[in-house]
Amino acid sequence: MVRGFGWAAAFPDEVWEHVFSFLAADADRNAVALVCRAWHRIERRSRRRVFVGNCYAVAPAAAVRRFPEVRAAAIKGKPHFADFNLVPTDWGGGAEAWVEAMAEGWPHLEELRLKRMVVSDDCLELIARSFKNFGVLSLVSCDGFSTAGLAAIAANCRSSPVHTSVGLEVAILVSVASEGVNELSLVYLLLSSADIPYLRNLRELDLHENEVEDNCLNWISHFPESFTSLVSLNIACLEGDVNTSVLECLISRCPNLKTLRLNHAMPLEKLVSLLQRAPQLVDVGTSKFSADHHPELFSKLESTFAGFKHLKSLSGIWEAGPTYLPAIYSVCESLTSLNLCYATIQSPELLKFVSRCKNLQRLWVMDLIEDNGLIAVAASCKLLQELRVFPSDPYGVAPPISLTEHGLVAISAGCLMLHSVLYFCRQMTNAALLTIANNRPNLTCFRLCIIEPHTPDYISQEPLDAGFSAIVESCKDLRRLSLSGLLTDRVFKSIGASANRLEMLSVAFAGDSDAGLHYILSGCKNLRKLEIRDCPFGDKALLDNASKLETMRSLWMSSCSVTLGACRQLALKMPRLNVEVIDERRGRPLESWPDDFPVEKLYIYRTVAGPRSDTPPCVWTV
Amino acid sequence: MELELGLAPPGSDRTPELGVHGEKRANLCRKRGVDEMLGKATLPLFIQKDNDEDGNGNGNGRQSKHLQELNFGSRVLVGWPPVKMWRRKSDDCGRRRANCVKVNMEGVAIGRKVDLCLHDSYQGLFLTLSQMFPKKQHDGEESDAAYYKVTYEDEDGDWMLVGDVPWEAFIRSVRRLKILN
Repeated sequence: MVRGFGWAAAFPDEVWEHVFSFLAADADRNAVALVCRAWHRIERRSRRRVFVGNCYAVAPAAAVRRFPEVRAAAIKGKPHFADFNLVPTDWGGGAEAWVEAMAEGWPHLEELRLKRMVVSDDCLELIARSFKNFGVLSLVSCDGFSTAGLAAIAANCRSSPVHTSVGLEVAILVSVASEGVNELSLVYLLLSSADIPYLRNLRELDLHENEVEDNCLNWISHFPESFTSLVSLNIACLEGDVNTSVLECLISRCPNLKTLRLNHAMPLEKLVSLLQRAPQLVDVGTSKFSADHHPELFSKLESTFAGFKHLKSLSGIWEAGPTYLPAIYSVCESLTSLNLCYATIQSPELLKFVSRCKNLQRLWVMDLIEDNGLIAVAASCKLLQELRVFPSDPYGVAPPISLTEHGLVAISAGCLMLHSVLYFCRQMTNAALLTIANNRPNLTCFRLCIIEPHTPDYISQEPLDAGFSAIVESCKDLRRLSLSGLLTDRVFKSIGASANRLEMLSVAFAGDSDAGLHYILSGCKNLRKLEIRDCPFGDKALLDNASKLETMRSLWMSSCSVTLGACRQLALKMPRLNVEVIDERRGRPLESWPDDFPVEKLYIYRTVAGPRSDTPPCVWTV
Repeated sequence: MELELGLAPPGSDRTPELGVHGEKRANLCRKRGVDEMLGKATLPLFIQKDNDEDGNGNGNGRQSKHLQELNFGSRVLVGWPPVKMWRRKSDDCGRRRANCVKVNMEGVAIGRKVDLCLHDSYQGLFLTLSQMFPKKQHDGEESDAAYYKVTYEDEDGDWMLVGDVPWEAFIRSVRRLKILN
């Protein structure tokens, strides 16, 4: 028996590394790193994947220094409520600091995934130049870049180091004096220096729901002829036209292409000729799915889709009308994932389509499916795991849709494997929620959005406390919950007490008093992210539970009852929290405002990097 | 990139409306003053407008009566329902996209921008305009709507008086606004 931690030396480092490689979860690797110095050293040198949930929680240089051999990094920036315009556009989340640090310290980086960050074209160019073996670039809900930046990415994908468009050009003037002739030959030597790597192996370019400025129409043509390694291309978020013939060439020369998600702009005929070139696709996102009826186009579409022998995932289908949807019935059986949330087709056609998809595991659809449609889904799609129903008319201009709590109840009864729900509707009852809770105790994600704030149970006129309480009490593995409707402090008492696995909670227009917030913060052992808007929660609950905030990733509160004084106290008490007060109306600096000043928006997050240096004028770190 | 400076009389808080993406800055088109805000227990984040005389000016009869009880004067809430910007980018309802149009007042050098998507009636629009271009001496007149003569340029380039056509038709065709003294 070896004394102390000498047993760690009983095996060479490589053995421990191999053992650690079986630990997928970061939490496990973190635990390993705390055992002894040797393990700390071995673990940090062998960690290949890093996930940074809040880009300001740690300094980029520190992260890069600690884990020098990272091959895959995922980083998130803005708070979730930025998706709904609640966060000022200049709040932060810029990617430069991270990309620069990574370019410096992780030259072997292969995968980069950024979410809700501001990525400039310069960043993209830096990415294009810095990583020799780069394979995957995924940008989700980002902004700040343009198609010119994408062109830089594309241009750097090559397989031989002869010609570079962004590399050095060394002009060598050679004067040749040969017999009888005085000749001056200008020889341009295009050097790609060893310091300019290239995206030789780009496999995946995933652009999901980004705001991209369209200033380079032909960016796709920057992919060189020699580039053939593409496996996944998602350009659904691009607004502008993409050159179809160039895209066709690209697709034809990439035999491994499995995922292709196009953008809205491409007309249906062009889409068809494009898709014909890639019958091996597993995941297709179509472009605009409406056009005037042409029998020829219909049959071409039909035969193209019939050719997809491996298609599992279908999305796009922008503005689909009843005309062309029947052409693709042939793929329904094989689909496991269907995203129709941009399709404005009405219930009968929608129902016909979806009920053919017997193997569906994930369904995203508009509320145009109505209760009848969901009842049909409950009967046909027995393997359904995830359902999202989006509002076709969130601002209530059109006549109301017949989608109510009945649809969700039917799904909960018929789909035994259902674990994830996002549901927008206009009415709900406690009874329905109770039924859902009893039917589906295996729910892990339950996000209900009753569109009108403060809507009570429409039958009993009671608050929906009982219903949501039933959900948290029955669904023991619930990790994510979004509340809506009329709710008092009582629901928070249940959540605090029962939601032991809850990691993310979204609250809006709910609660009566500070007690509500106190219940959450003093319970919910595993809470990581809490976002609250328009609730009467204030200082006391926040200060009484200050230490809880350091166990969480972040807390967002807007339009609540928190005062500046409480923020100041909190910041003093908890040095490892950044307490950011966001106020877009103020001209004068925060220091001059009194303690009882009401805080409009508050974002608190734990960090080891201290206050950030890039706060815009509307943000103060207290 | 368009730069619109917001000048306002002293006492009200306005910040310049800078923005490349009109839709993202939409919620800044109207700010509440400090006085309005202090003294309230909760601070709902919404665009306030009066909605008591209702129905008549509107093309639709959408109501949220219970919101009024809680002192929410408006039907339009920023960021609610929580639907991503991306959901709104569909051609069939251009109304959901932020629809910022320029507003100039005769004799005033600096123009403003107003997001029509945040309004659903002429009354609301006039209220916003009256707050953007407040009259220096208000002689106790209640209805600002009566005070201003607002014209708009439609898609054909013609200048028409605001208020003649139904609201829905108006927002589809309006290109910019001009307030006459």
